[in-house]
Amino acid sequence: MSTVLPAAPERPLPTPTRESQPYWDGMREGRFMLQQCASCGKVRHYPRPVCPHCFSMESNFKEAPLGGAIHTWTVCHHPFNFFFKAQAPYIVALVDMDAGVRINAQLRGIAEADLRIGQRVTLAFEPVTQEITLPFFTP
Amino acid sequence: MAHALRDKAAISGIGETEYTRGTTKSGLALQLEASLKAIDDAGLSPREIDGIIPYFPGGGIAEDFVANLGLPDLTLSAFIPMGGATCVAAIQTAAMAVATGVCKNVLISVGRTGYSGARVSTRLQQFPQFALAAEFELPIGLFAPAQLYAQGARRHMQLYGTTARQFAEVAVVTRNHAILNGNVVMNKPLTVEEHHASRMISDPFRLFDCSLESDGGAAIVVSASDRAKSLKKPLVTVMGVAEGHPESPASIAQRPDLLEFGLVKAAARGYEMAGVGPADMDLAEIYDCFTFTVINQLEILGFCQKGEGGPFVMDGRIALGGALPVNTHGGLLSQGHVVGLNHVIELTRQLRGEAGRAQVKDAEMGLVTGYGDMGDGSLAILRRAA
Repeated sequence: MSTVLPAAPERPLPTPTRESQPYWDGMREGRFMLQQCASCGKVRHYPRPVCPHCFSMESNFKEAPLGGAIHTWTVCHHPFNFFFKAQAPYIVALVDMDAGVRINAQLRGIAEADLRIGQRVTLAFEPVTQEITLPFFTP
Repeated sequence: MAHALRDKAAISGIGETEYTRGTTKSGLALQLEASLKAIDDAGLSPREIDGIIPYFPGGGIAEDFVANLGLPDLTLSAFIPMGGATCVAAIQTAAMAVATGVCKNVLISVGRTGYSGARVSTRLQQFPQFALAAEFELPIGLFAPAQLYAQGARRHMQLYGTTARQFAEVAVVTRNHAILNGNVVMNKPLTVEEHHASRMISDPFRLFDCSLESDGGAAIVVSASDRAKSLKKPLVTVMGVAEGHPESPASIAQRPDLLEFGLVKAAARGYEMAGVGPADMDLAEIYDCFTFTVINQLEILGFCQKGEGGPFVMDGRIALGGALPVNTHGGLLSQGHVVGLNHVIELTRQLRGEAGRAQVKDAEMGLVTGYGDMGDGSLAILRRAA
């Protein structure tokens, strides 16, 4: 009797948009690129067409520093998406980046009991396909 | 001067199906079954419905109601895309419609196969509001509400010392209320120990901190108060109603304060419209997608100070017989998940004096909230007409 193995669950991947493409291009190059208003200079994330501060539609992407401090976190045990079943439990930290935006990413290399608000972490890059690189944090 | 909408609209009919885990009925069939009950409860014919606000996505759309109920002249078809805040926010739209004469009777309804149909992560991928979460957070393993809202709960615990014991109190009290209701999914007592022993879903949320995935339908009819007086049931009017949208509405991550969301704005406007405050409430039906969400909203609603929601729920305060009975029907945690329309139905029932074993003695005024779509909020204050 033959057994049909279920296909491995597919990793959910981002679909870059016309607004966000430079962010994902940066990830692939190992650079943390954030959108900056060409008129008033304010940084915004996630990428969008209009600056909510001065309504300018002109913007550039600028490389930002990789450091930040933990704002909060969760430890995911139940894999709502089957792809993550093998990784669970995993920590997702929400980090106040030094550039003034927040980034959510998995935090690796730290015990759950050692997590604190305000703790310094560093953004790192994990290529997952030829096109897509995802961020993660290290202590 | 009183707000132009205060008491101009009434909840004239309520209806709900059996709440179950497992059904062969479609979401649309559940929604229509509840709708027919609500229309009958109001003493109306289905032909008298001229406004339709269905929960969307999921269940039917206005076209389905025209086709199934033979509606002769629909004058309003609207969606309120606010996730769990939809049903209470829809009361605002319905009130505007009936107070201005655009509609006579607006039907707000939900049909859901949350247990036997698509589960939450799949459903949410149909929501345009979740596009940013799908692009930036789903790929790193964060997407389900239990995960997205867990980060706020964890921060509240770290900042204010809120405890899992306090989360458990919300779960246990809600379950005790459900047992009195009868039409509930969870009808066995729950202990604090069972709560603490339940499996971790997304820290700090355990299984019994999370609302149910269930099947069922719910519906209400909103009519102009001066017309509703002549209908079948005691008059319950909408004193105040409001919706609110937070900063960074489609991304919790970028919101300045994770613990402040649309309800902050909705509560201020809703209380002002009603001309009353939290101290005037005989009971509160609070959108309970998670135990912590109740604690957080009690703070925002002004029942206690920011950070004091944990201690507030202890010592029987939110139980029947306490100072502020909360979720007297068992809520989304123990009765069933019909996106909070069951909370509106329960508040109406309480104010009519029809709540049976869960009746809050002499209940005259109460509030109901909606919360969802990553932080949209809504509030309605209802009262029994003198």
